[in-house]
Amino acid sequence: MIESDNQEELDDRPPILYSWNNLYLLVLVAHAIIILLFYLFTRAYS
Amino acid sequence: MNIIDWIVMLGTLLGIVAYGVWKTRNVSSVQSYLLGDRDLPWWTIGLSIMATQASAITFLSTPGQAYEDGMRFAQFYFGLPVAMVILAIFVIPIYYRLKVYTAYEYLEGRFDLRTRTLTAILFLLQRGLAAGITIYAPAIILSSILGWGLNITIFFIGLVVIFYTVMGGTRAVSVTQKQQMIVILGGMFIAAIILVYKLPANVSFGDAVGLAGKLGKLKVVDFSFDLNNRYTFWSGMLGGVFLFLSYFGTDQSQVQRYLSGKSLTESRLGLLFNGLLKVPMQFLVLFVGILVFVFFQFNTRPVHFNNANVAKLIGTPLEADYREYEEAYNLVQEEERALAEQIIAANRIGDEAALEAARAASIEVTAKAKNIRQSVEELILQQDPNSKTKDTDYVFISFVTTFLPVGLIGLLLAVIFSAAMSSTSSELNALATTTVIDIYRRSLVKNKSDRHYLQASKLFTILWGVVALLFAVVADLFENLIQAVNIIGSLFYGAILGVFLVAFFMKKIGGRAVFWGAILGEIVVVTIFLLDYYEHVNIAYLWLNLIGCALVMLFSWILETIRPQGAAAV
Repeated sequence: MIESDNQEELDDRPPILYSWNNLYLLVLVAHAIIILLFYLFTRAYS
Repeated sequence: MNIIDWIVMLGTLLGIVAYGVWKTRNVSSVQSYLLGDRDLPWWTIGLSIMATQASAITFLSTPGQAYEDGMRFAQFYFGLPVAMVILAIFVIPIYYRLKVYTAYEYLEGRFDLRTRTLTAILFLLQRGLAAGITIYAPAIILSSILGWGLNITIFFIGLVVIFYTVMGGTRAVSVTQKQQMIVILGGMFIAAIILVYKLPANVSFGDAVGLAGKLGKLKVVDFSFDLNNRYTFWSGMLGGVFLFLSYFGTDQSQVQRYLSGKSLTESRLGLLFNGLLKVPMQFLVLFVGILVFVFFQFNTRPVHFNNANVAKLIGTPLEADYREYEEAYNLVQEEERALAEQIIAANRIGDEAALEAARAASIEVTAKAKNIRQSVEELILQQDPNSKTKDTDYVFISFVTTFLPVGLIGLLLAVIFSAAMSSTSSELNALATTTVIDIYRRSLVKNKSDRHYLQASKLFTILWGVVALLFAVVADLFENLIQAVNIIGSLFYGAILGVFLVAFFMKKIGGRAVFWGAILGEIVVVTIFLLDYYEHVNIAYLWLNLIGCALVMLFSWILETIRPQGAAAV
């Protein structure tokens, strides 16, 4: 097991949205929207 | 099966394998073989992660589950995107910083060698047995549908997978999984389109969805808090996060997929890609099952979907009874059809009274149909008491082989075989990697050349492949083997997860405490299992996961408190 000495490799930025926090938020918000759509789908058809 | 279907199925499967072998023909070092030179882009990692998790049984069972039970199973995956974000933030950077090959390698730096070896052996035991079932479970269904011998089907899946996994290692697994996942998603999408196209001319897509909804099949989200209800929003979000953290964070078959990324960024993006796509994908697969349900409201379906079971009755004194039930079932289906049309007509004009009357009548007719199906199952059991009469796994594949046009049957069978191969190849690859890196190279045969470990990796892949094949072949001899494998998994999985949770979140606990904590926790789990087995207590085996994990954490904390050692610097 070798520790990485390349800090840049570990601090890299995501290709979109400027920061990883923004990208994580995108995934969580998209997931919340999907659940909301499922809920509306359930309400509409049950 | 038509010759065109054979060409499509074999052409698709062997084409993917040939492409995988050709793309990985230059693999010549152990790092390249086990980590794919760490050069894979995020979309390959993401598709590979999805393909590893989605076994053939996913695509056989899930539409059948929607057909029988509706869409609520989608909630099982609600915790997955949250788990992906947690892993991307906390776990992947640790694995990258330490440049590990396996998840267990990290434990040596954090604790000590014996903790690493213990968790690696627990993983090998559990995953080694599961690999056989990953081949056996779909083979039993595919052999019944295709009329092939069970062992021929097992060997067809197993030998093809062993061949390309041995040839190209982890890179071959990822490259073929990308193609296999494209075939799987494309095939399921085409199946959905064909199902809509095959609805009666006077039934629109909206009518079909409305009908499924009125018959109680479209309850995707359930916010009620009920511990006895297996699929709710809360069980998915709370239990699911826990389950997926352990599966994606500590199971080498998944860890290996994202460790082969070009960079930390690519690995994180691959996991987040899975987090974004997995829930919609499961929705699509379940929705295909709903469309099959609506399709069979207007088209005659068999009284029992497993033809192999029905064949047991033909030519016996029970055949006459079976024919009677079959005829009665066909009459009930005509009633169902008329009521489905009434529901659609009432739904179109918003006539609530007519809708409610037709719905109530439909529930009664469905109960009648269920009774007839149960009577047929009893006949099958009377003829052969060892038969498995649950036939929901056969619903989708029966539709595929009976109602899809020539060519598409071959494509959808390629989907099922692809799914079986993609998850098995990941398992064999992970088993070989853990054996070589955590046991063979670390403790048994040290300081040999790279070429030696490359050859050893290939040999261990073959060895685990043979173990999986043998296990799949004898699986048929033991009635409750799949359950036994799940029980074995539950005996060990909790302890592995407990060790990793201590490593990540209880920073002051050292190697000695966690090792003995794991041993003690495992002893208690096995004791509880034996007490349950001999009926002194009553605890469902799935709870052993949680108990094992909690006990390892508790014992580790107690042991560290009594006799402090302190953690390693990692």
